[in-house]
Amino acid sequence: MKRFMSTTAAIAMLTTSLSGAAFAEGHGGYTLGISNTVQGNGWREEMVCAMKAQALVSGKVDALNIAHRNTDAAGQLEDIRNLIEAGVDAIVLNPANSEAVNSAIEEAIAAGIVVVAVDQAVTAEGAYVLSNNQEEYAYLGAKWLFEELGGSGDVVYMRGAAGAGADNDRDTGFKRALAEFPDINVAHEVFTGWQQDQGKQQILDYLATGLPVDGVWTSGIDNVIVDAFVESDVPLVPIVGADNAGFVGQLANMEGFTGAAVTNPGSIGGAGVTLALQVLDGEIPDSNTVHVDPSIWANNDPAGMELIAGAQNPNLDPEWPVSVMIPGWTDYSMEEIIACKGPGE
Amino acid sequence: MTRLFGKHGWVIGLAALLALLFLFTRLIQPGFGASGLDSLARATLPFAFATAAMAVVVIAGGIDLSVASMMAVAGVTAAVLMDGAGTGFSVFAVVLVLGLGLVMGAINGALIVVTKVPDIVVTLAMLFVWEGTALLILNAPGGAAAPWLRNIVVGSVIFPWLPKAFVVLLICLAVVWVPLRRSKLGLSIYAIGSNELAAYRSGVAIGRTRIAAYALCGLFAAMGGLALTSATGIGEPIPGPYLMASVAAVVLGGVVLGGGRGALLGPIVAVFILRLVRMDLTLLSVDPNITTIVEGSIMVAVVMLGGILAARARS
Repeated sequence: MKRFMSTTAAIAMLTTSLSGAAFAEGHGGYTLGISNTVQGNGWREEMVCAMKAQALVSGKVDALNIAHRNTDAAGQLEDIRNLIEAGVDAIVLNPANSEAVNSAIEEAIAAGIVVVAVDQAVTAEGAYVLSNNQEEYAYLGAKWLFEELGGSGDVVYMRGAAGAGADNDRDTGFKRALAEFPDINVAHEVFTGWQQDQGKQQILDYLATGLPVDGVWTSGIDNVIVDAFVESDVPLVPIVGADNAGFVGQLANMEGFTGAAVTNPGSIGGAGVTLALQVLDGEIPDSNTVHVDPSIWANNDPAGMELIAGAQNPNLDPEWPVSVMIPGWTDYSMEEIIACKGPGE
Repeated sequence: MTRLFGKHGWVIGLAALLALLFLFTRLIQPGFGASGLDSLARATLPFAFATAAMAVVVIAGGIDLSVASMMAVAGVTAAVLMDGAGTGFSVFAVVLVLGLGLVMGAINGALIVVTKVPDIVVTLAMLFVWEGTALLILNAPGGAAAPWLRNIVVGSVIFPWLPKAFVVLLICLAVVWVPLRRSKLGLSIYAIGSNELAAYRSGVAIGRTRIAAYALCGLFAAMGGLALTSATGIGEPIPGPYLMASVAAVVLGGVVLGGGRGALLGPIVAVFILRLVRMDLTLLSVDPNITTIVEGSIMVAVVMLGGILAARARS
């Protein structure tokens, strides 16, 4: 036992000496905390890279403290409280949902920390919100699809993750469009869990049944759905996806494929960093909430096709959204976000 | 003294490790104090209940993969019942949810005993059943927690450094565990985990004891669900990362996966260690892609070290 204890003490000391470097960095700029609860998803990875790149180019950030893992709202409460303990100046977070992390956000604000929620809103008083309008996201794409089908037909509805706040908001938007087109029939409704492999298997299973499909609405698991049609040798139908690089490439290059991408910028993370720095510098915005509205790029519409063609970039990961910058909010270059380096890295 | 040390060596070792970690935390963050302890205790709560739930069935020689899903069912049920309800009804709701936990656990146990299908298969299937049940009750995060349930874990009692969440955890675990440990049922649970045949020949009702162990697991899982609702103020139908975390803490806490050996104290200390490691990694702003590797490595290192020490002690 004695040996056990001395070994653990040695390990602890070793860790201390290794971590000394973290404290040697110069002070003067801000320390930002970041909290995100989905890891390994292209959209979220782009969001985190946008945060890092924006913090780096701003020149005002000394260090980033990133809590980025797969967890639930209770885990995010833990992460936010740990960031408060770490003494950060501001926290930029993508909330697990709009209410569940309010208690920790309020504790952070009480401790004098600026809190900015990106992508999804939070209801905590005093927090700043920079969110993508998820209901509008679904409505725009669904409306385009139903119009494309002439107002009648069988649609496969491929949702995100059951029980997720963003999926719920998107469902509201989808149902709103559906109510405007009474002759559209939802032939099949599934949750992809926002997982590429799961979504692809689901559409392959459906196509194998031979049941009718006139169009597909996806919640951002998109390029693999197009692949599944091609692999199953089923004629392509109109498909709605997000502005992910892989899907936008298909919209630009595939013969005989009609589809539309709805923008949902992951770079909103970088915008959140900008907003946090503005507030820290005393530039308080007029409103606590800024909504970023999506737009739709259809490849059968010249204006949409121009945007699709302009967004082609072979260096982007196929799962990354192509809208890597938000004018007025982000200052980094394409190379800087792809490099994904923050201050001190 | 030596006997005491020998019997509780593992737990004492873990406690020493925890003390060292606290010291280390204080070193890297000189401001670490009452608020840090409060954050730690509140973060630990759901993990600790999940771990207690898992520990009971593992001691009985089983495993329950549906722990996190049962927590989700309990959490959303509480949030739905308490939404807009008065204090009186919300207390009733807590009792109801605890009862629901017992029932869910008993169903898991009964299915294993009656069908004789291996526990790992039955509870894996039930993981999906309870997950779906939670989504049926609440298809998106929602509902509300009663204000008293939210406040019960906020702040400190008696001393500024003694978090309420920690006291709540101790009371909830002790109320179930202490009488159980002294009862015939408690002894039977250890007996069937240690050697089922010997227990049967000694007159232990194997089936009933197993069902009771799973029911207790459900009860602790329900407490975990209530802890989640209390922390977030709403119900979340998607289960959190509590299954693997609870298995990890149980193993790290000295409960033998084959059953029959271990107790609750070790796993609970282990939960605190794992949460404190997470806090330290955040304080040190370690690359998030590395933190999980660090967490896993610490677990393997400690368990391996324990195995080596145990082997030496025997020889």
